[in-house]
Formats: sequence, structure tokens, C-alpha cells
Amino acid sequence: MSGRTFAPRDTVDFIVVGSGAAGGVMARELAQAGLDVLVLEQGPRFTAADFKHDELAYWFNNELLNSPDDSPQTFRSTAQQQATRVGDFPALWYARMVGGSSNHFTANFWRFHEVDFRERSLLGTIPGTSFADWPIDYAEMEPYYTKVEWEVGVSGLAGASPFDPPRSKPYPMPPLPVKSSGVLLERGARKLGLHPFPAPMAIASVPYRGRPACAHCGFCIGFGCEMQAKSSTLYTMIPEAEATGRCEVRSESYVFRIETNERNRVTGVRYFDRDRREHFQKARAVVVCANGAESARLLLMSADARHPDGLANSSGLVGRNLMFNTYAEVHAVFEHELNEYKSVQVTRIVHDFYDSDPKRGFYGGGGLDSRIGPNPIAWSLFAPPPERSWGSGFKELLEAMPRAMVVATHGTSLPLESNRVDLDPELKDAWGLPAMRVTYKDHPDDLAMSRFLQDRAVEIMQAAGAQRVWRGPVTDAVGSPHLLGTCRMGDDPQSSVVDRHHRTHDVRNLFVCDGSSFVTSGRGQPTMTIQALAFRAGEHIARFAKQGEI
Amino acid sequence: MNKNETSRRQFLRATGGMLGATWIGTHWPALVAAAEHAHQVASGAVEQTLGILSPTQARDVEAVAAQIVPSGDTPGAREAGVVYFIDHVHAGPYAARAAEFLAGLADFQADFATRNPGVTSFADLPDGAQLAYLKGIETTPFFGTMKFLTVLGLLALPSYGGNAGKLGWKLVGFVDQHAWTPPFGHYDRDYPGFVPYPKEQRS
Repeated sequence: MSGRTFAPRDTVDFIVVGSGAAGGVMARELAQAGLDVLVLEQGPRFTAADFKHDELAYWFNNELLNSPDDSPQTFRSTAQQQATRVGDFPALWYARMVGGSSNHFTANFWRFHEVDFRERSLLGTIPGTSFADWPIDYAEMEPYYTKVEWEVGVSGLAGASPFDPPRSKPYPMPPLPVKSSGVLLERGARKLGLHPFPAPMAIASVPYRGRPACAHCGFCIGFGCEMQAKSSTLYTMIPEAEATGRCEVRSESYVFRIETNERNRVTGVRYFDRDRREHFQKARAVVVCANGAESARLLLMSADARHPDGLANSSGLVGRNLMFNTYAEVHAVFEHELNEYKSVQVTRIVHDFYDSDPKRGFYGGGGLDSRIGPNPIAWSLFAPPPERSWGSGFKELLEAMPRAMVVATHGTSLPLESNRVDLDPELKDAWGLPAMRVTYKDHPDDLAMSRFLQDRAVEIMQAAGAQRVWRGPVTDAVGSPHLLGTCRMGDDPQSSVVDRHHRTHDVRNLFVCDGSSFVTSGRGQPTMTIQALAFRAGEHIARFAKQGEI
Repeated sequence: MNKNETSRRQFLRATGGMLGATWIGTHWPALVAAAEHAHQVASGAVEQTLGILSPTQARDVEAVAAQIVPSGDTPGAREAGVVYFIDHVHAGPYAARAAEFLAGLADFQADFATRNPGVTSFADLPDGAQLAYLKGIETTPFFGTMKFLTVLGLLALPSYGGNAGKLGWKLVGFVDQHAWTPPFGHYDRDYPGFVPYPKEQRS
């Protein structure tokens, strides 16, 4: 790794907190614009050679995640309940390392559709929710979606989906080879008059910008890519940021406080290094890209006498309107082998149910995709129905695994002020800082849409000729890796935390850009939109810096 | 980490870090071969000896695991050495949970003794009686833990102590290989290619 090194006495132009999907893009955009950038990342820096095909370590021992051992969380469904400490697996989880969750994600890279940005205008209010339009529309986002596809690297087939929004360029790489699950999803869906299409994936299908093509090892979801084919910012944006000579990525640096002065300007951040020594780094401006859970927590932890409710929180909305995206599964077993453990998780998608339809009687929309879920241990533990969860019936299902597939549903989560991230009043993390408290309960429409999508998935698998089809549970979510909405974007300082350029309404030289900026949840697969927002924000923030408007 | 594993990591670190991605692209087959070889080394079996469990405890643990994934025409939890996994992880990654696991096991054995006077241990029951007994306790936390550990012991890397001879992976049809080429399964073999939708269907 190259790049530059800053001293604590240096006042850097920008500190970017977090190096994941958003932080990596932000660092590159600011550094390439000629600004000095220090990225502070709480996790370690791995290389491709450090990643392993060890399902136990990554899926069950949290080796890549924010582990509840040192970063505990508490959870409750409603504010009336006492939150209890989450056990072996975090409620809100992310990969804690340089590149963040862009390392361990599945790499589904749908663009949002035009409706995602203006559903409130199209559908009207939904009582009891904070359902709202975004301050920006799809047309404004389109160039940045294209930028993600070409500069981060996305494989796909432009024009394949009749539902795709307009695009200015095709994908830079062809779609990844279809798997048997994709063929079967396509077969069943086409029989029903639906329009399945090749999945856009942030995984190189051919050698791209110095990275090799995918080797189809199958270890995508939950794993770091050993081959550098997954377009993680660890392999794409971060090295390009460092190559400018104006960016330092300082790993194992846990930012816990943003400092402001009497003029209400950010002066820098406090962080712990790997030996838990405290440092203060000065900066002209700070961009928080710590993800939709930690960005809100950091602002809340930065409370002081001038900001008793947390920094940039005059609206009271920091941490609120937490959204996940619903997720449910339908399992199917076919006559012949699929061998779904091979290659990328998803190769075909159905978007026929993307738009909300008032005729259904509830708000919501979503997508379906074909996948296994995902590796042998997880499938064995989570896929079998209760009556086949052990004994000879269980073993029979295990032996059917090569013939099994999953259709996953991905749907909307309505924004509710009651769903939130805040600071637990008692529990502390291993650094003595307030633990994250999560309050979350799905809106009834979220679950209704999830069941609707599940019904469609059952029909598709039956139409495809499955021998056996069964449903996974649809229940209130108790956690997610999709961390959205907690510093929502808007024009009105009363009802949003950041403006349309991701500048906080309250503090002129403080910006927040990641999943927390989302106004609505979309239908799933938020990383594409997180990165498009980061490209757009990076361009505007760099312009502000050059024009002396920070 | 053994010597071969160390050299594998050094090799991959060199290719990934110093030589760069372009080199990886050009030398792809060699890299795959190296990774495959190394993976086999990394997933090699460990010795089947008991550290934490007494022989009596191990017999009961193995008997419960063998009801969760029974033997038969194909190997089950017993043949895959799940009991050794359960023993080894409680001295390794799950050391912090060892006391809790052993306490749960002790309760299980004590309950069994109370309800089955005259039978020395669960493992001594005939197969059908074992199954019936476990059906009566399948909602207990200890049984849940045993289910979890049995699946892990069947399917985790053999280096954790279970999945002996990769029997677990064979059972579920999983092959640990670092690279595959299409076709991956039966249904994608003769896929004709994606047929675009007629223009008039497009919104």
C-alpha cells in the first residue's frame, strides 16, 4: 500500500470516517480532486491472501464482523421494552475492515428505479410513518450509477429487464455465467409471464481494471474475495485513492468523537489506535461514512454542551427511521443436481413486483432472486423446516442439497421514527463507550409484502417443476446488514439530518454519506445506491472545498 | 499453522500484494493450483483424541449427534467424527462456552438417569428408545446446542476436528475446490442463452 502519511499536528483537508462502500469512494473522489484525505478505519487491513474458505470462522465466529464480544449491542422491538443484550451474532452487522461490508457482501448491484425517489408523491402519505420523497431524483443519480458500474466494476446485461430505468451506458462487463438456479428461476418465471433477467453483480466476469475474473469458487456472501474479483473498495477505490499520493488509510483507528468549537465548526476527531491509545486528529472538514448504524452512533456520542442531543441532531432524527429491507426465502428441491455451492450467489432476478400496487391493499414492492443460502453449514441450519430439523428426515434433506436452491425475496421497509439506533444507557463496549441500542419492529405492510413476494416465489418454483417446495419463516426482523435511513437526506432541517449534498444541516463542515442518507429503503441491495450517492456527494463536496464553501 | 500453510500464505501474499492483480491474471492457473493444494493442506484432518470430554461423556455426545444425523446407507455424524469436533472446539474457539456446554451435558445426563432408572447412560439405550427420548427434549437449549454443534462438526473444515475424511461434505455433495467452470449443474448445461423480451413489452 502506498500513499501519504499525515501527522497528528497536520490539519488535513478531510477526514473520512470509514473505508467501506461509501468511504472508499469518498476518499478516492476527494483525493483525485486534489484534496488531502485521511481515512480512519476501525478495522484491520487484510489482503486477498488473508481471506479463507472457512464458513465456521466467518459465518459463526464473526471473524470479519463487528463482534458482540467487544462491540455488544442491545435490542428491543419497541421503546416500551427493556432492551436486552444480543448474544452470539450482532443485530446490526457489518464487516469491520478496510473496505468494510463491500468485502463480505453478495455484490447484488441493482440500481434503484425512478419510483424509489418519489413514491410519496406517487402514492400519498402513509399514516404513522415518515414516508417521504427524496430531495433528488433518478435522473440526477443516473450518471453516478453509471460511474459505479464502470469505475467500481459491475457485470450485467443492459436492456435485459423491461423494468430497468433509463441508462446512459451499457455495463462494462457481460453478466456472469448463469447457474442452474438461474435457469430454473427463469424457466418458472417465464412460464408465468414474468420477465426474469441476468443479475447485475459487482463481480468481474472478465478481467477488469487490473483485476482477474471470478473463478466461481462460490464463497461470496459473508466472505472476502481471495481472487480480487469482487469489486470491493479494498481492491478498487482504496488503492486508487492512495495512488494519488494525497490519501492515507489509517486502519485500526476507532473514531469515537467529533469535536466542534464555539463557532460550531468541526475541528477534528478523537480516535483510539490499535493499542487503545487516544489521539486527536485535526481536520478542516469531516465526512462520516461509517455505515447506517455507526454513523448515527458516532454523532450521538459526539454530544456536548452545545449539542446535548448529539451532533447535527437539531431535528432529533439522528438514529431514527432505521430501515433494513425485508428478506424471506422459498426453498425448492429439483430432480437433478444444481450444485449451487459453485459460483456467485445470484444469476437471475425478477422485478415484475418492484412497484407498489394499491390493489394489493398494502404498500410495498420487491424483487426475487435465485440463490443458495449460501454454504453447507448455513443451509443445513437455516433451510430445513422444523419437522425435518434433525433425524432421518433431516439427513435426507442434507443429501438433497446438491439438488436444492433458494428463491430469496427482497422488499421495502417503511421508515418509522420509532425504529432507531441510539446509545444504550448502561452497556459499554470494550473501549468503555456506550453500546449501540437497536429498536426495531417491521411495519405490518413490510411483512405483508414479504409474504406476497414469497407466494410469487412458490409459484415460480412450482412452475419450474420443483419436486418439493417449502417456505422459510416471515417474522419481525431482529437485525440486518442493510443499515439505512438513520441520518436521512432532505431539504427541510426539521425533517432531515443532511441536505441534498450530504452536508449536515447543523454543522457546515460536517458531512454524512452512506446508507444512513436513504430516505426510503428501496427494494434491497442498497450498496449500489450507497456508492452512487458517494460519487455524487464526493463531487459536490470537492467543489465546495475548492470554492471556499466549507 | 503448519509449514505448508505458512508457505502458501507467503506465496499468496506475494502474488496479491507485490506482484499485483495483472500478474494474477496472467498466472491464473498457477495461482489456482497453489490455492487448491494449500486448501487441501489447510483442511486436513486432525487427530481423533479427546481433550475435554471424558469417555462416558463422549459416548453420550456421540449418541445424541448420531440421532441428529444418523448413520445408515451413508455415513452420519458418528462416522464424520462430530464428537471430536465438539471436544476440540471447546478447547479452542469455543473455550469460553466450554463450562456452559459441560453443565448442559451434566444436566442432560442427570435428567436421563432420573427418568431411566437402571439404564447406565443414554448411549446404552436401543436406537428407537434414544430417538423417543430426544423427541421429548428437542425444545431444550442443550438439544439446540447439540444440533448446532453437530451440523458444525459435520460440515466445518476438517481442521476443526470433525468432518473426518470430508464425509460431511460428501454427504451434502460439496466439493472444496477454489475454481469451477460452467456448466455448474444439470440445468445450466444446455442453456441456450438469454432471450431478450420483445420491445412492446417494455415500459
